[in-house]
Amino acid sequence: MKKIISDLDYVILYAEQLKKNKELFKQQKELIEAQIKASSSLFRNAFGEDFKTNARKYLQGRGLI
Amino acid sequence: MKGYKVERDTIVINRELTSLDLFVKDFLSILKKYSDYLIVSGFVSISTGRTRGTENVDILFPIIQKEKFAKLFNDLQKNEFWCYQSDNAESLYSYIENFNSIRFARINEMFPNIELIPFNEEKKTKFFEFSHPQKIRIEDFEFKIPPIEFEILYKEIILAGKKDLADALHLRTFFSKILKEEKFKEYEPIIREELK
Repeated sequence: MKKIISDLDYVILYAEQLKKNKELFKQQKELIEAQIKASSSLFRNAFGEDFKTNARKYLQGRGLI
Repeated sequence: MKGYKVERDTIVINRELTSLDLFVKDFLSILKKYSDYLIVSGFVSISTGRTRGTENVDILFPIIQKEKFAKLFNDLQKNEFWCYQSDNAESLYSYIENFNSIRFARINEMFPNIELIPFNEEKKTKFFEFSHPQKIRIEDFEFKIPPIEFEILYKEIILAGKKDLADALHLRTFFSKILKEEKFKEYEPIIREELK
């Protein structure tokens, strides 16, 4: 019977490989760059030119500030 | 080539800088002119290779005088950071003296952001990790984090969410060759004090 790999098994496997092979950091860099780019685009579109005012309204509406 | 090496008292991660690193580096270059600091939580795991997204970078800093804080805030504004809570240093200082965090991002950005967490000597756990920093370096970016054993236990005992437990497991696995059992034993009672 096949063993299902859990999220935590994956964390261990990835960290073990990372110890031996720094090339895996390139995948992580791509993920981080993509996340930052997507987030930037999303909020610039959502909040427009008066970014700070609209951002604060959003944060207040969600009880974050 | 291996993922990291230890040079004297510094852990050197063998990878290129990301946009997230450069954001933190820029912020620290200003903060360090006015205050000491310690980077804690998610960025510790991510900077050492944990593959997950993040929105904020948590930085502990000891409460500083009001005038010094105003200079720090002005410098951050001048260097294109904005604060979620306010544009006014005086009103922001009331957050600081009440031990409430404030957040900074780049102008016209929400994420990533820095969560600046004030503390003083009465906050025993925070003061302990702040007083026992571990240096870490990625290319020319050197910064301070808690001892790895402390960070692992804090995530396992205090934070203990799914994401935190996975972060702790990443640190336990990635740094398995340099972790010291006696340090886990030393730090655990200090961390458990925070539960009382």
